[in-house]
Amino acid sequence: MFKKFEEKDSISSIQQLKSSVQKGIRAKLLEAYPKLETHIDLILPKKDSYRIAKCHDHIELLLNGTGEQVFFRHRDGPWMPTLRLLHKFPYFVTMQQVDKGAIRFVLSGANVMCPGLTSPGASMTPAEKSTVVAIMAEGKEHALAIGLLTLSTEDILKVNKGIGIETYHFLNDGLWKSKPIK
Amino acid sequence: MTNESTNAAERLKLGPREGVTYPVVMKYCGHCSMPIEYCEYYPEYEKCKEWLERNLPDDFERLKIEEEQASADGTDDDKKRQKRGGKGLLRVKKKEDVPKRICVSRAARGKKKSVTVVTGLSTFDIDLKVAAKFFGTKFACGSSVTGDDEIVIQGDVKDELFDVIPDKWAEIDEDVIEDLGDLKR
Repeated sequence: MFKKFEEKDSISSIQQLKSSVQKGIRAKLLEAYPKLETHIDLILPKKDSYRIAKCHDHIELLLNGTGEQVFFRHRDGPWMPTLRLLHKFPYFVTMQQVDKGAIRFVLSGANVMCPGLTSPGASMTPAEKSTVVAIMAEGKEHALAIGLLTLSTEDILKVNKGIGIETYHFLNDGLWKSKPIK
Repeated sequence: MTNESTNAAERLKLGPREGVTYPVVMKYCGHCSMPIEYCEYYPEYEKCKEWLERNLPDDFERLKIEEEQASADGTDDDKKRQKRGGKGLLRVKKKEDVPKRICVSRAARGKKKSVTVVTGLSTFDIDLKVAAKFFGTKFACGSSVTGDDEIVIQGDVKDELFDVIPDKWAEIDEDVIEDLGDLKR
């Protein structure tokens, strides 16, 4: 999604959020990521005012007070954390591990195929279809991409063919490279 | 094997880990900007290594030891694992090497007033908006970003700029600032 993203051209407008909307987003985030409760004040302080950057292709970025991108979403989809945020707080998103062979493909933006999730080097945590997942890698400590399950993990095991996770945001894509927006 | 899989499951569990303080402080490679462990997948791995050797010697040493071990064990992943597909390789976009130079010039505005034009600041990765604001407060005048890489400061402050810019941004040397003299608008 962010493969061709560029800060300069892709962001069409930046808006300050009303505090009622801010509260709404906070509540939604906590609902989606209940584990976040202990640290959400570090990510999105209550007193801070956040902004939303509207981008092309119906992407919205949530910016915190310092202008860092913290979450993004596509149309009315779920809010997903950016990788920089996820590296700081790696525990709140369901994690799936891919095997070594898949890493380089994911890093160039490919979707994760089922065999990459079922082979010996990989490991899955049970999750439903269309949950936000962090893609980890065999032998690596940090997440390398964020995506959405296109099948439930059960089905991935059963089918073992085709796309298992749709990659949204990966290391070194346009969003990763963009700097904090002032 | 079972040990390994339970390890993985443990690693993928949700919830904050004990004994870890959040936010986790990350180390990113200065060359490819990714976490250090992913450098090996970057096409310019050699340059990453160079950067690592210079900036984080400890991590570089660890990496070297690991690599040696892997080759000593003979567990070369290339041979062990089947390779998939052919076009998955990342390609590096060539960074355009623009000479790092700042030009300052004076442009007349009306009969007795002038503005100062500063170009080239963005070759030093300086946020132009912030820089313009800084000049404005420093010289107590209007200052705005007028183009892709151009700041216009109202008033003739060219001579002061030679001191102010290296003062504010330490990475800029006074010698790279060039005086273009008077320009017609």
